[in-house]
Amino acid sequence: MSKEIILHIEGLRTEFQTERGVVQAVNDVSFDLHQGETLGIVGESGCGKSVTNFSILKLVQYPPGRITDGQVLYNEKNLLECSDEEIRTIRGKHIAMIFQDPLTSLNPVIKVWVQIAEALRLHQGMSKKEAKAKAIELLKLIGIPDAEQRADNYPHQFSGGMRQRVMIAMALSCNPDVLIADEPTTALDVTIQAQILEIIKNLSHGRKTSVIMITHDLGVVAEMCDAVCVMYAGRIVERASVDELFYDPKHPYSIGLLNSIPRINQDSDERLHSISGAPPDLIDLPHGCPFRPRCTQAMDICAQKSPPEFSIGGNELRTVACWLHEKEHSHG
Amino acid sequence: MGNPDILLDVKDLKVHFPIEKGILLKKNAGWIRAVDGVSFSVRKGESLGLVGESGCGKSTTAMAVAQLEAATAGKVFFEGRDLSLLSSEELRRARMNFQIVFQDPYSSLNPRMRAGDLIAEPLRIYAGKKIISISENDIQKKTASLMDRCGLSPSFADRYPHEFSGGQRQRIGIARALSLGPKLILADEPVSALDVSIQSQILNLLKDLQQELDLTFLFIAHDLAVVEYFCSRIAVMYLGQIVETADSQTLYQQPMHPYTRALLSAVPLPDPKSARTRKRIILKGDVPSPSAVRSGCPFMERCPDVMERCRVEAPVLSDLNEKHQVACFLYDSPSKQI
Ligand SMILES: Nc1ncnc2c1ncn2[C@@H]1O[C@H](COP(=O)(O)OP(=O)(O)OP(=O)(O)O)[C@@H](O)[C@H]1O
Ligand SMILES: Nc1ncnc2c1ncn2[C@@H]1O[C@H](COP(=O)(O)OP(=O)(O)OP(=O)(O)O)[C@@H](O)[C@H]1O
Ligand code: SF4
Ligand SMILES: [Mg+2]
Ligand SMILES: [Mg+2]
Repeated sequence: MSKEIILHIEGLRTEFQTERGVVQAVNDVSFDLHQGETLGIVGESGCGKSVTNFSILKLVQYPPGRITDGQVLYNEKNLLECSDEEIRTIRGKHIAMIFQDPLTSLNPVIKVWVQIAEALRLHQGMSKKEAKAKAIELLKLIGIPDAEQRADNYPHQFSGGMRQRVMIAMALSCNPDVLIADEPTTALDVTIQAQILEIIKNLSHGRKTSVIMITHDLGVVAEMCDAVCVMYAGRIVERASVDELFYDPKHPYSIGLLNSIPRINQDSDERLHSISGAPPDLIDLPHGCPFRPRCTQAMDICAQKSPPEFSIGGNELRTVACWLHEKEHSHG
Repeated sequence: MGNPDILLDVKDLKVHFPIEKGILLKKNAGWIRAVDGVSFSVRKGESLGLVGESGCGKSTTAMAVAQLEAATAGKVFFEGRDLSLLSSEELRRARMNFQIVFQDPYSSLNPRMRAGDLIAEPLRIYAGKKIISISENDIQKKTASLMDRCGLSPSFADRYPHEFSGGQRQRIGIARALSLGPKLILADEPVSALDVSIQSQILNLLKDLQQELDLTFLFIAHDLAVVEYFCSRIAVMYLGQIVETADSQTLYQQPMHPYTRALLSAVPLPDPKSARTRKRIILKGDVPSPSAVRSGCPFMERCPDVMERCRVEAPVLSDLNEKHQVACFLYDSPSKQI
């Protein structure tokens, strides 16, 4: 895999100031997104998936949020140092994002086609007429029936699945290099989810768009992704190709997670594996490894020092942040 | 009276909600047919899964079974007794036998009550109404043992719901539902709001409780893998109707209804190799509104196999064999008599 790196994230830290204390939402996160690749970011609720991606596009609200360290390189430019104006051009035109909740990110009082057309006019300088035609074409592409008529609807007249597809149409309107999809199907039914995933898949294959796919659904990861980062308590604890993660997971948390999902055709008399306890409070992280309180294999060192990311067999795309894998790490 | 093995028997249940227009003079502008002629039965000790997409009527079915929502038509028999014929006093007594566990562990617990009181509340109410006789001392003991059994330290009894995590709150909901010693648990998406690692803890707990207490479940979920794991038999709902029922294995290995097939093929599989090779059926369009006046099969708009007949007549759930029922003209189901 010597594909071109399109987005390079290094040492990202983001925190939130709250009444109870400082929430360490993103804690030294680094990863690369390669040309044409779909990279999954998985982890349980609150582990920092959304904040990581908000940080990439400088969308973290201050206060209470603050990016305290790190860089995000896109075309050799550090996005975190861009002016508001520069970053606004990059957002939408080069890096587009589909948000977790489509209702909050669509304007309720503006017709659907106008919202799609706005981006086209802003970033591609189309005339109003051209933009409308293109907007309707996009609505057709994402499978909205009677696109000409439905284009005049307001968001609330669309179903959840249709609104999510409108978000995708908007994100794709400018042929971005990178698409960040934050749980694009979580609120949707499985058959509608399958429609949406199919659209994203076709686009990433057809247009060679690189995709960051944020989800807590390991099924979606298996269906969609080439590579995966597993997050836990604000950190990436394992990175791997999709096959490596599913067939040879290394981190005790990844192993526990994969064993916890009931599988179709699993013997019903068998108990499900489960990880005891709950994820830690990000304000009061345990000393050492954040997974230690739930880990069945914890050793003395785990309570003392937080494990760095060890690469397995010298492959920098295959890392595990766990002391059990220190020896597999070849230096250099 | 009927088959003694059958704990719950639901016959042609309908729940229609009026659509009201106008602010002062409310006019009925039609009906939402949330549940539109559903029949099923649950045997003692069995767990029947009810799956289907959002809005297809799963929760409304459970609420109507529990007599918390009025049925527009149809009957619910519990241990052979028609619940609609019971006096309110008799119904209260009967209710001890069936309890609901709700989806949302965040909103279903009164935030101003402590965990111990939440769990003890049903016992206190029934003792207050002299339906059961139990001393306050025994209520306390029973609460502590329920907490313990559901994986909550009894020392948490004084805490309020917001001090618990989602999984712990669901444990409180389960302990509360068990307090009166029910025979049937109506579990409405009990693990849908939980993260995977917590979800498996709760599923294990429910399975253990089922064996220990000989519980029967009506288990509602939209996650097919969860339902298949938990349930011995599954009913698939679409637009207010049951379109297929079979034991779990048969349903997964030989789905017959085109909707069940599409649903199964749409579930993302946590296995990249099979995900890459399998053929998926991608349906077109969205689930129609349950208020639209319609004829024909509920699935006709999205069905890849739709025929002329499906647009004018509605198929009725009928036996493929003793253990497998389907409502689809591909299998010569009879038409509904109007
Ligand atoms: N505005 C905020 N103020 C305080 N804390 C915040 C804020 N936004 C996020 N956080 C905290 O940051 C952490 C990471 O949140 P994030 O939204 O990234 O989680 P996530 O992994 O996307 O979870 P989910 O799967 O639920 O979407 C959480 O613990 C959250 O409580
Ligand atoms: N009290 C009510 N008044 C009017 N309509 C209702 C009411 N309760 C439910 N409905 C409607 O009835 C239909 C079935 O709803 P129900 O909640 O039973 O679906 P569900 O299968 O449980 O869905 P979900 O998976 O989203 O929980 C929906 O269209 C819903 O909007
Ligand atoms: S570092 Fe230690 S505590 Fe953390 S996951 Fe590895 S073995 Fe478990
Ligand atoms: Mg999120
Ligand atoms: Mg429901």
